[in-house]
Amino acid sequence: MSTKERNWWIVAGVLIIVYALFPIAWIVSLSFKAPADIANGQFLPTVFTWQNYSQILTGDAASLFLPALRNSFGICLIATFLACILAMFAAYAIARLNFRGKKLILSTALAVAIFPVISIVTPLFNLWRLIGLYDTWLGLIIPYLSLTLPLSIWTMSAFFREIPWEMEQAAQVDGATSWQAFRKVIVPLAAPGVFTTAILAFFLAWNDFVYGISLTSTNAARPVPAALGLFSGASQFEDPTGATAGAAVVVTIPVIILVLIFQRRIVSGLTNGAVKG
Amino acid sequence: MRRPWRSRLAAAAAAVVAVGGLAACGSAESGPPTLTWYINPDDGGQAKIAASCTAASGGKYTIATSTLPREASEQRQQLVRRLAANDSSIDIMSLDPPYIPEYAQAGFLAPVPPDVASRVTQGTVQSAIDGATWNGKLVTVPFWANTQLLWYKKSAAAAAGLDMTKPVTWEQLIQAAGKANTNIAAQGRRAESLTVWFNALLASAGGAVIAKNSTDPTQIQLGLQTPAGDRAAQVMSEFANSGREGPAFSTAGEDESVAAFQAGTAGWMVNWPFVWSKAKSGVKGGTLSQSVVDDYGWAIYPRVDADKDAAPPYGGINLGVGAFSKHPDLAYAATECITSTANQKDYFLTNGNPASRASVFSDPEVLKDFPMAPTIEQSLQLAAPRPQTPYYSEVSGSIQREYHPPANVSPATGASTTELIQAVLSGRQLL
Amino acid sequence: MTTTVPPAPPTTRAPAHAAPSGASDRAKAEQRLGWYLAGPAFAVMLLVTAYPIGQAVYQSLFAYRLTDPENRRFVGLNNYAVVLTDAIWWQSIATTVLITVVTVAVELVLGFLLAMVMATALRAIRPVVRAAILLPYAIITVVSAFAWQFAFDLNSGFVNSWFSWIPGISATTDWFGSFGSSITVICLAEIWKTTPFISLLLLAGLAQVPEVLQEAAKVDGATWWQRMWRVTIPNMKAAIMVALLFRTLDAFRVFDSIFVMTAGANGTESVSFLAYRQTIARLEVGLGSAVSVLLFLAVVLIAFGFIRGFKVDLSQARGEK
Repeated sequence: MSTKERNWWIVAGVLIIVYALFPIAWIVSLSFKAPADIANGQFLPTVFTWQNYSQILTGDAASLFLPALRNSFGICLIATFLACILAMFAAYAIARLNFRGKKLILSTALAVAIFPVISIVTPLFNLWRLIGLYDTWLGLIIPYLSLTLPLSIWTMSAFFREIPWEMEQAAQVDGATSWQAFRKVIVPLAAPGVFTTAILAFFLAWNDFVYGISLTSTNAARPVPAALGLFSGASQFEDPTGATAGAAVVVTIPVIILVLIFQRRIVSGLTNGAVKG
Repeated sequence: MRRPWRSRLAAAAAAVVAVGGLAACGSAESGPPTLTWYINPDDGGQAKIAASCTAASGGKYTIATSTLPREASEQRQQLVRRLAANDSSIDIMSLDPPYIPEYAQAGFLAPVPPDVASRVTQGTVQSAIDGATWNGKLVTVPFWANTQLLWYKKSAAAAAGLDMTKPVTWEQLIQAAGKANTNIAAQGRRAESLTVWFNALLASAGGAVIAKNSTDPTQIQLGLQTPAGDRAAQVMSEFANSGREGPAFSTAGEDESVAAFQAGTAGWMVNWPFVWSKAKSGVKGGTLSQSVVDDYGWAIYPRVDADKDAAPPYGGINLGVGAFSKHPDLAYAATECITSTANQKDYFLTNGNPASRASVFSDPEVLKDFPMAPTIEQSLQLAAPRPQTPYYSEVSGSIQREYHPPANVSPATGASTTELIQAVLSGRQLL
Repeated sequence: MTTTVPPAPPTTRAPAHAAPSGASDRAKAEQRLGWYLAGPAFAVMLLVTAYPIGQAVYQSLFAYRLTDPENRRFVGLNNYAVVLTDAIWWQSIATTVLITVVTVAVELVLGFLLAMVMATALRAIRPVVRAAILLPYAIITVVSAFAWQFAFDLNSGFVNSWFSWIPGISATTDWFGSFGSSITVICLAEIWKTTPFISLLLLAGLAQVPEVLQEAAKVDGATWWQRMWRVTIPNMKAAIMVALLFRTLDAFRVFDSIFVMTAGANGTESVSFLAYRQTIARLEVGLGSAVSVLLFLAVVLIAFGFIRGFKVDLSQARGEK
């Protein structure tokens, strides 16, 4: 590749990085501005301060933010875990077995994926309050499953279809028991797919907003996106821009870490294996 | 190896579930009952009062606070949905007065014991009592009472030659702002603040949003198509088109108004007294210079007509006890402690939210920190509440829809708003 | 770990096709096992969607206000009549359609460019570019909405001071004060956030264009532009249509950005937001349910239209390719 071409690629790369990171850089910069500095009209703060972070992590807003963070982590991890298990079984059936209803399940997954969440929050609210799941972790985990299952099923089916299942039989021919064959041959081949699906499902669950604001009302179960709108300034009339920005950054860090470390897997998962990276 | 990774993940998840489960059901211990007080966001004052009243209860109860969203309409959303679900964990609620009729009418408030009612209304300003009453009965306990003052920069008033010791009208203000080449900061955003402003204008003109009230929504008669309604619309439109309202008037909230006033682009401002606490903390934090604050002046809300008293906005917080609370008697005892004169004074001093008990305003400590206390008290005596109806959110929402942006308001707006409210309340239209 | 040489290319069909009526024992066992394994997932998905939408349909037939349950009365399809003849409903439809069309159109082009870059970028910068493109996808929508809102805000933002040299923008431009500018900011935020997803779908399609065809076109002397339009894009049609379908359905349901940035002011309400406001803010369960059901039907209509009308090939998504 000629130097000129290489330079163009570098320019393109830089442009893409700027495009992708600009709003993130902005919210990070905003989170370092003192409340009086927010209106300075500049990108960067005039004085860098940790005030907002101390407010949300140890100060007044901590009693709102820290439980929300704990809720988000707990609920999303559990929902991801459960979704992966359910999707694993379903994907195994779809990839390996031939049974009537395969199409139905996949079509249902599609239908659920495109469902407008807002249409079902009020009936769900009514149902949850009747059976006591309102404002609880389980009350959010169940809807999160419906958010994450479709993508999980699709992604895992795609991965499972690529697995050479005959190797299991080959291993058994070589003398392994059925369980050993599964454990030592299939599981290592399936693990990357499951892992990728887990990451994608986690992103979906982490991103939820509508369920969070409708099915919770206290620190018991409120996740961070819902809590973001609840920060307040020194009085009910003042805008809590700094605290909100700080909270936004804190809640973005896990996501950034996951993307940086697992980018190849994520790309592979989202392109249904067509692009290995 | 991959499997240990996954089993570690599974173990972590299991641990999280365990912790979550414990956290969710953990508080089944014995001890004094915990009363949960749902508070609107403030500067930590209510939480402090909760702690001190817990201590003062001598072990009878513990007050735990839980914060509601910032906007009054969102606070109401959360509380109403949970009360409609017969939530028994709601003991005490900090309620915005216009929504109280809705709670009361729906049976969401535990009745106020008569002795409590007489104790908490003693010495309380009339507008606060009115704001805590529905259908002739006291349904909530007045906590603090808010009102808007007319703040001004003494230098701007001097430059315009406007005598601020005498009552001023909106038209006078517009002229003065023109002479002093400065703006007037008001809230024109499509939010509750717009209803606050419009209601104040209408009441100052001698009218009322609801002419004849009724618990049947289709029978409510509105007072928008009256001479007072037309006058209020006229003043609104004049102000918004005067050139003195500032560039972002149609999206300005209370915070934006303060920003303009502090920055000096506005020489006059109508706003709640939180601006004084904000100014003082700005000076303390070094972001506002003392000379700016020294230039602050305050007066009663502008009049609409020179011969009629202004009717400043009324707001604040009243405390309601949830109808499904397990300890309503303890909750009322707690509210009496929270709204004691001492606590009201303390809350005023620390959070800048004026008390509802008149005696606080003549306290020397209060006068030292809040020299405008007498003006606030006078304003509270004159204040008019927003329309009292269980359908307040519909009425306010309709007003916001039709009277925004304020620059487009005309006498016809009264007619269209009346039509809209009637259609919405009878289910013939969406809002 | 035992190492085995992978055998010939894996077959993807499971063994033993059953007789059409599923008579054989093997087929029956497979059928049972299949449902046994996939059943739980199926049940969970259905529970959380079928029951609530059913209840929403039921409640939409009543005039029912949450704070006034005793006065709940059956009104049949009257709520639908009220909604469908209301200007606010049509305004929200118009706004939603506008946002959908604008964002999807821009995203297709931008996503395609990004996909091209990802496909052909230098080895060295590929991980960086890939990570950069994935970040907007992974960020919480609400966080992105806040970031964009704060950037364009009159008080806290920098856009006015950076771009005041553009005619029409000044230090006092109130981006959230009117319909046009609010929609612009909302669309920008949506485009920024969701272009990566489309670019990945298109990248998958790009990767599947047979190299052979590209070579043949080059040999025939086709320019880059001609190759793009005659070879690449026609062969990516399936992927493009899938991307279009998913993005359209997502865009039609836009909610988070509007909630955070404008709360529906100035006519920027989307259909989802209208449903939210009627049911949750106004406590009008009956009317709100009617809006919700209509929204659901609209989404189903769009999906149907794409799948039947444009013959979108979902076989890949349905797991057959």
